[in-house]
Amino acid sequence: MAEINLKGISRRWGDFVGVDDLTLHIPDREFLVLLGPSGCGKSTTMRMIAGLEEVTEGEIWLGDKMVNRLEPKDRDISMVFQSYGLYPNMTVYENIRFPLRIRKVPKDQHHERVMKAAEMVELTGFLDRRPAALSGGQRQRVALARAIVREPNAFLMDEPLSNLDAKLRVSTRAQIANLHHTLKTTTIYVTHDQVEAMTLADRVVVMNKGVAQQVAPPMEIYDRPANTFVASFIGAPAMNLIEGEIAGGTFTSPVLRVEGLPHPVSGPVTLGFRAEDVEVVSEGGNLSAPVYSVEKLGDSTMFAIRAKEDMIALKAGKAADMEIGETVHARIPPGACHVFGPDGQRVEAPGL
Amino acid sequence: MTAHRPSRLLSVFATLFVLVWMVTAGFPFLWTAWGSFKVEPDFFSRVDWTNALTGVNTVRQTGGAFTGDGYYGAWVLNDFWAAALSTAIVTVATVTLSLILGTLGGYALARSGYRYAFWILIVALIFRAMPHITLVSGYLVPFFELNIWGTLTTSIIVLVAINQPFTLWMLHSFFLSVPRDLDEAAMVDGCTRFQAFRTVILPVMWPGIITTGLFSFLLAYNDFAVTAMLLRQDNQTMIPKIASFLGSIQNEGNVMFAVSSVVSATVPLFLLVMFFQRQIVGGLTAGAVKG
Repeated sequence: MAEINLKGISRRWGDFVGVDDLTLHIPDREFLVLLGPSGCGKSTTMRMIAGLEEVTEGEIWLGDKMVNRLEPKDRDISMVFQSYGLYPNMTVYENIRFPLRIRKVPKDQHHERVMKAAEMVELTGFLDRRPAALSGGQRQRVALARAIVREPNAFLMDEPLSNLDAKLRVSTRAQIANLHHTLKTTTIYVTHDQVEAMTLADRVVVMNKGVAQQVAPPMEIYDRPANTFVASFIGAPAMNLIEGEIAGGTFTSPVLRVEGLPHPVSGPVTLGFRAEDVEVVSEGGNLSAPVYSVEKLGDSTMFAIRAKEDMIALKAGKAADMEIGETVHARIPPGACHVFGPDGQRVEAPGL
Repeated sequence: MTAHRPSRLLSVFATLFVLVWMVTAGFPFLWTAWGSFKVEPDFFSRVDWTNALTGVNTVRQTGGAFTGDGYYGAWVLNDFWAAALSTAIVTVATVTLSLILGTLGGYALARSGYRYAFWILIVALIFRAMPHITLVSGYLVPFFELNIWGTLTTSIIVLVAINQPFTLWMLHSFFLSVPRDLDEAAMVDGCTRFQAFRTVILPVMWPGIITTGLFSFLLAYNDFAVTAMLLRQDNQTMIPKIASFLGSIQNEGNVMFAVSSVVSATVPLFLLVMFFQRQIVGGLTAGAVKG
């Protein structure tokens, strides 16, 4: 069990910056998710912690040890790979046992520990199979068992669910959440899937172009995105962002006018609001535009309306019934609005 | 819909074609193997070529239709056994050294993130393309100076050097087909780089190693240029020895020594390919699909 400290770490290849001056404190037992689009540096960060990638600058501390110069094997962490990384020539049992064997754990403990790990991921029926004879979900569970069998300081998981189909992804996700609840081992989890981040994380690090954009619990990231990148990355659909002017608490743009905003700024800003905060009204409202597309999701209906160049997503009840081309009136409550300055950073409303 | 079946005529034709082809391809070897048990006047008869089949002179000279005289003369009287022993030493050593250097080097090149790995491989390819004899002529002076001309060790070193570019290329592409995640998983699980290589990567590489090993074997086994130049009369390998049976002053039966030696030298190749055929096919296709 250990906390992990990243002190201003960077990774550069020539002119290309993979990770730029990242500082993070990960307390013991935390489940931290690194979230971002591909190429944002999240996997590089994890690989640096694992020791599979060199650190150009900065320090990585595991507990009270600076590990920059340590080999992966000496860092006492275990890792789950997107492509599973199972040893094809060994049975499931031997795969799970491998870390114990190679680390010279006393032989008499092996069987008991392998069986315990296999039980936790429900693999006891498959122990004498080879990885080739397993399904994708089972393979990933073998990888999980191999990671937990030696009770390391921390788990690193590199997009472990990306190769699974949608249904398996949900059940394996639940299994990972449950494992973390039981073992309480510090976990760093890399994903580009915001649902995984929201459901699993104690804290989420949203990354873009090698820079951490926001580090916060999932709900805070959702409710108070730090900048327009986070706002547009988190949530399905992404937050609506409209450019315009603010003055005296009134936001105006060619398509939209919102009054009564508490934000004490004036000048050009970006207004953000989520689809589910918009009320569809029969008349009046701040916004009226023709429907561009309709998506019935079963429990609700998503509309996209087209106002000048902007595409705005609205969420309505399952009973809402509108045709493409029909004009919708919508009301945007000022309390649900986020304001971002010209630099894209969040402007806080006072009293929050 | 019924499955499409080729017409009877076509399948008869195809079968005949394959049979004719097999006989044509196998004939020279079968002819030589059969003839190696005859005497020279039969196998090289100017009177009637069927003498080679019936063995008229063989019956007259030895009393039987088959004779082991050619084998006896080559193996016992002319020390072909010593040549066979030399070949065994040279090939086993060459294959072992080539594979050790090739797996280590191929692995390093496959996992290296640097651009020079590519250039090393290109240089290797150029060396591979050179005629073997060019290398030997380059070695002439230093080997005389060092006084290591004419020993088995020297020819082993030269053969390994000639062979190395090829083994590097081949094993490099086999290693590329093994995902990098496997090394990394092993290293996180507690292996050093070398342990990961030995306990995780090598076991999944056997088809590639066997295929590469077989090609190295063939190179060393069939080599003439290097061994004929480098070795002395008394430690010659089989191929130069056979050549000397053919080339020396024509004594009665000398040619038959060559014929029987050729057959003797071919048998191990058959056995080897038959024994490893599954791995070879697996190795070739694995390299072809993913390499």
